[in-house]
Amino acid sequence: MMGQAIQVLVDAVSVGGLYALTALGIGLIFGVMRLINFAHAQLIMIAGYAVLLFFAQSAALAVLGAVVGAVLLALLIERTAFRPLRGADPATLLIASFAVSFFIEKTMIMLVGSRPKGVDFLSALARQVEIAGVRLQLLQLVTILVSVVLLVATTWFLKSTRLGLEMRAAAENFRMAEVLGIRANRVIATAFAISGLLAAAVACLFVAQTGLVQPRMGLQLVIIAFVGTVIGGLGSLPGAAFGGFLVGVATILLQALLPPELRVFREAFLFLAVAVVLVVRPQGLIPARGLKERI
Amino acid sequence: MSTRGSAIFDGGRIVPLLILIAVVLALAGAAEFAPTVVQRRITQGLINLVAVVGLYVFVGNSGVLSFGNVAFMAIGAYVSALLTMPAAAKGVFLPDLPAFLAATEWPGLAGALAGGAAAALVALVAGFPLMRLSGISASIATFAILVVSYVVLGNWTSVTGGQNSLMGLPIYVGLWTAAGWAVAAIVVAFLHQESRSGLLLRASREDEVAAAASGVHMVSHRLAAFVISAFVSGIAGVLLAHFLGTVRVETFYLDLTFLIIAMLVIGGMRSLTGAVAGAIVITLLTELMRLAEIGVTVGDMTIAAPGGLGDALLALLMLLIILFRPNGIAGGREISWPFGPATPTTETQPRKPQ
Amino acid sequence: MTDHSDKPSGDSLVEVCGLVVRYGGIAAVQGVDLRIGAGEAVAIVGPNGAGKTSLLSAIAGIVRPSAGTVEVSGRPLAGLALSDVVRQGIALVPEGRNIFGSLTVMENLRLGATPRRDASVAADIDRVFADFPILGERRDQPAGQLSGGEQQMLAIARAMLSKPRLLMLDEPSLGLAPTIVDKVYELLGQIRAQGVALLVVEQNAARAFALADRACVMSRGVFTLTGTPEEIGRHEAFDAAYFGVAMTPTAGAA
Repeated sequence: MMGQAIQVLVDAVSVGGLYALTALGIGLIFGVMRLINFAHAQLIMIAGYAVLLFFAQSAALAVLGAVVGAVLLALLIERTAFRPLRGADPATLLIASFAVSFFIEKTMIMLVGSRPKGVDFLSALARQVEIAGVRLQLLQLVTILVSVVLLVATTWFLKSTRLGLEMRAAAENFRMAEVLGIRANRVIATAFAISGLLAAAVACLFVAQTGLVQPRMGLQLVIIAFVGTVIGGLGSLPGAAFGGFLVGVATILLQALLPPELRVFREAFLFLAVAVVLVVRPQGLIPARGLKERI
Repeated sequence: MSTRGSAIFDGGRIVPLLILIAVVLALAGAAEFAPTVVQRRITQGLINLVAVVGLYVFVGNSGVLSFGNVAFMAIGAYVSALLTMPAAAKGVFLPDLPAFLAATEWPGLAGALAGGAAAALVALVAGFPLMRLSGISASIATFAILVVSYVVLGNWTSVTGGQNSLMGLPIYVGLWTAAGWAVAAIVVAFLHQESRSGLLLRASREDEVAAAASGVHMVSHRLAAFVISAFVSGIAGVLLAHFLGTVRVETFYLDLTFLIIAMLVIGGMRSLTGAVAGAIVITLLTELMRLAEIGVTVGDMTIAAPGGLGDALLALLMLLIILFRPNGIAGGREISWPFGPATPTTETQPRKPQ
Repeated sequence: MTDHSDKPSGDSLVEVCGLVVRYGGIAAVQGVDLRIGAGEAVAIVGPNGAGKTSLLSAIAGIVRPSAGTVEVSGRPLAGLALSDVVRQGIALVPEGRNIFGSLTVMENLRLGATPRRDASVAADIDRVFADFPILGERRDQPAGQLSGGEQQMLAIARAMLSKPRLLMLDEPSLGLAPTIVDKVYELLGQIRAQGVALLVVEQNAARAFALADRACVMSRGVFTLTGTPEEIGRHEAFDAAYFGVAMTPTAGAA
C-alpha cells in the first residue's frame, strides 16, 4: 500500500516535471512577447524527429540533434514570423502563432506522413529498479532529475546572468526595458532559444517514455502544460513552472483517485479550472508582480 | 423597428447583403450544372461558409479571437443527430440512450433549430462569466470551451457514442439546403452587425478607452454576439452532420478550428464580405489542391503534388496574409457595386444615432 | 531663442524641428520646435492633454513622429531603434516612474547602466547607495515595495546610471508629498550642477520654473509661450494659456 503510494507519487512528480518544463517554455515567450506560442508543440515534435534521425548512432548524438533542431526552429519562427509582428495586437499574435503551428505540423505530415514511427531510444532506462523495497522505473527518476536540473539552471540563468536580468525586466515592462537600452531582438531571441532547449529536453524524455515519434506528438503535452501556464499566472515564470508541475501532478492524482467513469473527463476538469481561474483569479496562483498590462 | 429598417435600406447599406446573397446563389446555381463530385465540394464549401459567418459574428464584431465555435458546431451536430436519427439506428449505436431520446424522431428542420438553440444555450451559460474577460484571456476561455466539449462529447459514451462514429443520420443536406442556410446565416450576421448592439460592439473594438468607459454594457453586447455566433455555428455543425450522415467527435477539434479560422483570417475578419470571401476562396483553392494531390496522368506517369501539401499551403497562406495584408482579402470593407463608390464599413463612418 | 534657422552651434544638444505626433486622427503635438543646449534646463508646463508627454515620448523614440525631426548633436534620431536612443545620451524617467517592481533595487540600478561598457558601474551604484542610504538598505528587496518617493529617487538614479547628456522627466512630482517633491527637485538641481541638461515636463509650474533656465508653455499641441521662467511668470497671457479651457469656460475658443 505504502509502496503503491510512493509509486503514484514518483509518477506524479515525473509527469509534473515534464509539464513544468513545457509550461516554462511557453511562459518565457509569453513573458517577453505576450505571445501564446502554440508552435511550442512543433519544437517538441522537431526534436522528436531529430532523435529518430540519430538514435541509431548514439544517444548523445540524438540528444544533441534534438537540442540543435528545436533551438534552430525556435529561432527561425521568431525571426520570420514573430519579429515582423512585434507590437501587433495580441489577437493578431495569437492567430499568427496558430498559423505557424499548423504550418509546421502540416509540412511535417506532408514530408514524413502522419504515421507514428517507433524509436528505440534510451530503452535501457525503462527497466525497474528497487529502492527501499519500492519498485520504480529508472526513466521516471531520470525525468525527475532532468526536470529539477533544468528548472534550477533556468532559474540560475534568469537570476544570475545579465541576459537573464534583461529578460526579467523585459517580461515585466518591455517598453521601459527598451528605453533603458535593452535590445529587444537579443532578449526575445534568447527566450526563444531557451524555450527550444526546454522543448528538446521534454521531447527526449517523452520519446524515451513512449518509444514513438509522430507529427502531432507535442500537441497534447502543450495543451495541458498551457493550462499550467494560465493557472500559475500568465507572465509569471515561477507561476508557469509551478502551474505546470501542479497540472502534471493533478493529472496523475485524478487518474489514480477518480472513479473510472470520471477518469476520462479529467482534461475537461483541467480546462474548467482554467476558466474558473481566469474569471476568479486572472493573475493566477503566483501573479507576475508589477505586470503592467493585465491581460 | 421601422426606423431602423429604413436606415438599413437607406444609403446603400443593404447593398453588400444583396451582393453576398447573389454570390452564394450564383455559386449554387453554377454547381447545379457541375459533376456530382464538384457539387458535393461546393455543398461542403457552403456549410463551411455558414461556420465562418458564425465565427465572424463574434470575432469580427468583438475583435476577440474565438477557438470555441467548433465546439458549438459539435453541440449542434450531436443534438440534431440525437433528435433526428431513426430509433432503429439509435438502438444499434447508442443502446444506453435514455428512453425519451431513444424514441425521438424529429424532422430535420426541427432538429436543426434545436441544435442551433442548444449551442446558443451553452454559449449563454458559458459566456455569462467568460465574456467579462477581454483580449487573450477571453480567447483562452473559448479554447477551454473547445477542449471541454471535445472531452465531454468524446467520452459521454451513453449519449454520444464516445469515440465511435454515429451513423445513419438522415442525409437531407444537399446543395440548395446548404445554400439556403448560407443565405440565412449571412442575413443574420448582417442584421446583427447593423443592429445597435452590433454597432456598439464594433465601436468598442476600435476604441478600447470608450469600451472600458461603457464597461458593463459591452459585456452584454459581447455576450449577445457570442450567443448568435454560437447559434449559427451550431447550425453549421448540424448541416455538416446531415451532409455526411455521420458524426464523429474527432471531426470537431483543432483541424476544423484551424480551417474555419484560416478562412476568416484570409478573407478578412473585419467584414462580413471577408468571411464569405474567405470561405469561398479557400473552398475553391482546397479543391484545386485536392485535384493536384490526385495528380495528372500523362501516359504511364502520374504527376501529383505530395499529400498534405494543401493543408501546409493553407497555413502558409494564412501566415502571409497576417504578415502582409492583416485585413485579409476584403481589407476590412464590405463589398459594393463594382462601379459605385465603396461602401464604408461601420467603424470608418458610424451611422448617426437617430 | 527657439529659432532653429541658424546653424546649430557646438553646444546644441537636442534639436526638435516641426514635430507632429498623431494618434489615429488626433494630433497630440502639432508642430513644435525646441532646442536644448548642453547643460541647459528646460521646463515644459501646460494643462492635461496639452501634448507634453507625447512630445517627450517622441524625443525618447517611444512614439514615431508623423512629421518633423529630432536631432541629437546633429544626428537624426529617426530610424534608430528605441534601445539605441539612450546610447545617444538621452535618458527618460517616464510618468509613473516605471521601475521594475518585481526586480530588486540593485537590479533596477544595474539595468540603468545597460548602455555602458566601462568598469566603473559598480562604483557608481555604490555612490547612489551612499547618496540614498534607504536604497542601499533595501538593495536586495523588490523595488515594488519602496514608497512612491523612494521609487522616484530610484527611477532618477537608474536613468542617471546611463550617464546621459540629457535627462528627461515626465511629471516627477506627480502623486508625491510636498516634502518629497522638495527632495526630488533638490536632486534635479544637483544633476543640473553636474552639467547634465534637463527637460522637465510638469503640471506643477512653480517647481519646474525654479529649476529651469528656460520654460515653454504648451497647450493643445503647440508652444504658446517660451522664454525665461521670470518672463513667463510675469506674462499676462500665462494664466490663460496655462489654464486655458478649464478656467475660461465662457471663452469662445473653448
